[in-house]
Amino acid sequence: MIVPYSHILALAGIVFLLGMICTVTRRNLILMLLGLEIMLNAAAIALVGASLRWMAMDGQAMALFIVVVAAGEVSLGLALIVCVHRSTGSVDPALENRSAPENPSA
Amino acid sequence: MTTIALMTDANLAAAAVSCAVPLLAFGLVMVATRRHPRLSAGISIAAVSLSLLGAVFLLASNWHAPAPQVWSAAWLVSDAVQIPLGVLLDPVSLLMMTVVAAICLLVQIYSLGYMAGDPGFSRYYAFMSLFAWAMLSLTLSSSLFQLYVFWELVGLASYLLIGFWFEKFSASQAGKKAFVMTRLGDVAFMLGLFVLLVGAGTLDVTAVNGKAAAQMDPAALTLAALLIFGGIVGKSAQFPLLTWLPDAMEGPTPVSALLHSATMVAAGVFLFARLFPFFSQSPAAMSVFLAIGTVSMLLSSTMAMVSRDIKQVWAYSTVSQLGFMIMGLAAGSYFAGVFHLTTHAGFKALLFLCSGVVIHALGTNDMFEIARKNGRRLKLAMVCMTLAAAALSGIPPLSGFFSKESILVALAGLDNPIWFAAGLLGVFLTAYYAFRLIFIILFPRSELAEPEAEHGIGTAMGSALVILAAATLGLGFAEAPLARFLSGDPAAAHAGPHLPWLPYAGIGLAAGGLLLAWFEFGRPAADQKGFVERVPALEALFANRWYIDAFYARMVSRLVDRGVAWLCAKTDQRVIDAGLDAASRNLIRSSGVLSTLQSGMIQHRLLVLFAVVVMLGLYFIA
Amino acid sequence: MPTVYADIPILSGILLVCLAGLFLILATPAEKAARIKKISAVSSGLTLAAAVYLFFAYDRGIGGMQFAEKIPWIPSLGISYFNAVDGFSLPMLLLTGIVFFTGVLTMWELTERVKEFFALVFLLVLGVYGLFMSLDLFFIFVWYDVSLFPMYLLIAVWGSTRKEYGAMKLTLYLLAGSALILPALLYLVFVSGLNTFDLLQLMAPGTFTPAQQRFAFLLFYIGFGILAGVWPLHTWSPVGHVAAPTAVSMIHAGVLMKIGAFGVLRVGIFLCPEGWRHWAELMALLATVGIVYGVFAGLRQTDLKYVIGYSSVSHMGIVGLGLSTVTVDGLNGAVYQMFAHGIMTALFFSAVGYIYDKTHTKAIAELGGLSRTMPRASAYFIVAALTGVGVPCLASFWGELVVFISSFKVYPLYGTLAVAALAVGALFILRVVQKTCYGPENEKWANLPDVSPGLAVPRMILVSVIVLFGLFPSLLFDLIRTASMPLMAGLP
Repeated sequence: MIVPYSHILALAGIVFLLGMICTVTRRNLILMLLGLEIMLNAAAIALVGASLRWMAMDGQAMALFIVVVAAGEVSLGLALIVCVHRSTGSVDPALENRSAPENPSA
Repeated sequence: MTTIALMTDANLAAAAVSCAVPLLAFGLVMVATRRHPRLSAGISIAAVSLSLLGAVFLLASNWHAPAPQVWSAAWLVSDAVQIPLGVLLDPVSLLMMTVVAAICLLVQIYSLGYMAGDPGFSRYYAFMSLFAWAMLSLTLSSSLFQLYVFWELVGLASYLLIGFWFEKFSASQAGKKAFVMTRLGDVAFMLGLFVLLVGAGTLDVTAVNGKAAAQMDPAALTLAALLIFGGIVGKSAQFPLLTWLPDAMEGPTPVSALLHSATMVAAGVFLFARLFPFFSQSPAAMSVFLAIGTVSMLLSSTMAMVSRDIKQVWAYSTVSQLGFMIMGLAAGSYFAGVFHLTTHAGFKALLFLCSGVVIHALGTNDMFEIARKNGRRLKLAMVCMTLAAAALSGIPPLSGFFSKESILVALAGLDNPIWFAAGLLGVFLTAYYAFRLIFIILFPRSELAEPEAEHGIGTAMGSALVILAAATLGLGFAEAPLARFLSGDPAAAHAGPHLPWLPYAGIGLAAGGLLLAWFEFGRPAADQKGFVERVPALEALFANRWYIDAFYARMVSRLVDRGVAWLCAKTDQRVIDAGLDAASRNLIRSSGVLSTLQSGMIQHRLLVLFAVVVMLGLYFIA
Repeated sequence: MPTVYADIPILSGILLVCLAGLFLILATPAEKAARIKKISAVSSGLTLAAAVYLFFAYDRGIGGMQFAEKIPWIPSLGISYFNAVDGFSLPMLLLTGIVFFTGVLTMWELTERVKEFFALVFLLVLGVYGLFMSLDLFFIFVWYDVSLFPMYLLIAVWGSTRKEYGAMKLTLYLLAGSALILPALLYLVFVSGLNTFDLLQLMAPGTFTPAQQRFAFLLFYIGFGILAGVWPLHTWSPVGHVAAPTAVSMIHAGVLMKIGAFGVLRVGIFLCPEGWRHWAELMALLATVGIVYGVFAGLRQTDLKYVIGYSSVSHMGIVGLGLSTVTVDGLNGAVYQMFAHGIMTALFFSAVGYIYDKTHTKAIAELGGLSRTMPRASAYFIVAALTGVGVPCLASFWGELVVFISSFKVYPLYGTLAVAALAVGALFILRVVQKTCYGPENEKWANLPDVSPGLAVPRMILVSVIVLFGLFPSLLFDLIRTASMPLMAGLP
């Protein structure tokens, strides 16, 4: 192996942690979604490394699944964020920072 | 000790009927005949007459066989505590019963005239019957438990009757004061009974007077005696609980005559006589009793010397004479105390009833006002009052002379001459204040007021006066037979050293007091100011009852109301409640802190979720 | 102790009459207030008649548990529906019957939400009856809580002075008490290993170790003691008394507080005698403090019902003192005092309730001269006051006397203090009587009507009961002894 498996796991772990920090600390729904994406990618990295370690295709297959699911989930999430922005005027996750709907038809 | 005999059926029936009939009268009047005053009075008087018949019957049938008879049944049974309901017929109870029943009847007849027209007429007679029941049952009680029960009931009747004219604030105040002060004495009485019960195992009167108490530890016996005497101090208005009796004069005069001179307050002395063998076993206690009696006697005599209110003078005199009786008993002469109790009942009731006639006719209690309104024209009342005052002072051949002499003889027999000297001083002062009153009324100084319409004294009131006057005249001569009846020994009348000069000393001092009163109040040239009244500080001291009342008022206000009571009430508010309120406020605050966890922010939840999963992972891997 | 089973289930009959009355009331439309009141009167009268019948039909020669009924309820847990009466609970049943009936009659002039009021009262009394009869720990607890919740609504809706506060305080305190009782109950059931909630089986000597008994008894004492008004956990009581409407005060002070003391007796003392002995001195101390404290705190009160509330605290202290002596006399006196005080306080509240209904004030300073305006109403008040003072030949005296004697023998100091409190008690009650009833007639109240013959009925019943048991105390003592003597004899 070119890269020891523990290094890949460490990289995946750090990326996951970064994604977690991004999700938890940012006051913007889009950036929360971004963090989620980063966490998903970290999982994919770990899976690919595992596939390399045990010389099996299952890991890469699962990584492809993750990419597909992430795509679907991101599109849905962004659609929801657009709805939220239309009805409350902000993308702040804190409840008290939202204001009343501007156009009731949203 | 004489042996106890079983009661004959006739005696038991007479005793039961005599006691129970007034209770029935009370119930009947209170529930059914409130709106029919004449009927109520009739029922009540009929009941008391029956009681008197029963008492006389018992006295006559047992005159020659004064062996105590006892009957008892269980009233309350609870393991170790067993309270019997019983009847004890022995000389002192028979005598007392007759005295009580007779005076009850006379006063109730008198009240027909005195209380006529009063809106509470029926209620008055109901309470009178209640009192008659309680007092008669008290005299016949065979167990100290039972005696205590009726002791309290007599106090209740007193409370209700003193505050009879309840719309007057002073009357209800006096009633409450009487009840609370006697209650203080009763607390001591009850504790004494408990000490006695623990020490002797029984509260049966004959047992207590006999062997049961003799086996008690002397210290416990003295303690019990002192505590029981506390009850006597309360009921008979001795020092230091003597101020309720003068205030009790707020009640109608017949009530004062019946309860607060002749019978109820005499219950204390009766109890002393009843437990005389028991008390005699503790010489220390007897000397305390002697001291208290002496102090009460002298103190109240001084208060009587400056009083302007006719009833108050006789009230102080009652306290004084009760103290005198207690002195006689505490000096060791059973007969002297009981004899004086009997004669005193007669002439003191007479004094009050005469005063009642005067008050009813002239509408005032103040003796100077009475004099001004020509009180002396009420001839029957004044004659009887003078007679009774003479008896009170101990002037022969009236009954008071004989009874006072026997007490003085007993006092002379004591080692310490101070008691005898105090007794003689008391005789002097008694004559002085009694005749002060008489002379003030008989010889008015200021302008006589316009004579009002003469209305004669009614037959009801008059007949009572005459009967009591006859008793005052005659009772003295019954000394020897009574002595033989009470203790089976005629010589008991003069138990003590044979001092031929003693009667003359008594007469001399009484005459001295009378002459001094004449000199200061009766003489045409006198200015009606007593020797005490010339010393303003002294007069103020006596008039304010030696500041005993002021002391009590301040103590109740400071110690009780603003002291302990304030403490308890504030503890409830500031400590207990405030503590709980603080606890609940802190609880709410802490839940406020905890509620910040529920911020509604999904990011916080996500963080927590992540942390928990990491911890789980570490747990399962490591 | 023998257990005699009943042929006719009278005890369940009492509970069923309460339930039937409850359902009939709920079924009656709210406008038919008169009919609701009549249903209540008849039902409560029936329960009273049953209680009186039981009182005389109980065989004092045999003693023990009589009129017993037992139906297994949840056999796997050992819970059964077990009712019986003995010398301790029969006076309480009679008390409940009397107070219930007279309470219903006292509220005859209620106009506001009559239906809900009487329905809640029936629910309340159902719980009370059930608790007194029950010999199964589970059901004792259930009835305790059944009687608890209606109190909140009754006070919060129909009450007066600070009713929401009073209702909340009362309910929270009593729930806290039940929060202590339930764990103790479950602990004992669990640790006995018998898998039963049956009191008689758990009572057998040797079931619990002394350490277990001490622990459980303490919890029972505090838990039930809150309801009994043990100092210092008594402050809910005066506030609750004041806030509650008249009949609720009568039932609350007359019966509910007795549940507390009865609970200590029935559950604590029956199951944990070793714990009873261990904590007796503490009980005596708290009881004595309660007696003295109650009379002194009562001196400072300006509201009529507060005065009665503090007097209740003091009298319940006497009950506690009797229970703490660990003697037959103490038990007898305590149970007798429970009965006598219940009747007396019912009369007190009944009399004060009438005065409040007519004058709309409970402030002592504003009342006065009532003996002239309404002689009968003030007469009832005075009789109740005299009973409270401890005048002999009125029921309360005998209970106090026996308790004082037995406590003096065991704890001389506490007994002395308790007796001394009599004097202060007389002072504060007579002061109140003087200020409200005596004195010149107050023009404000000059035109108020006196008690009508109809309204006089419940009060006269209470007065007669007080006088009856005052003159013939052995009627009750003979009954109580049949339970207390075997209990004390059976203790190790």
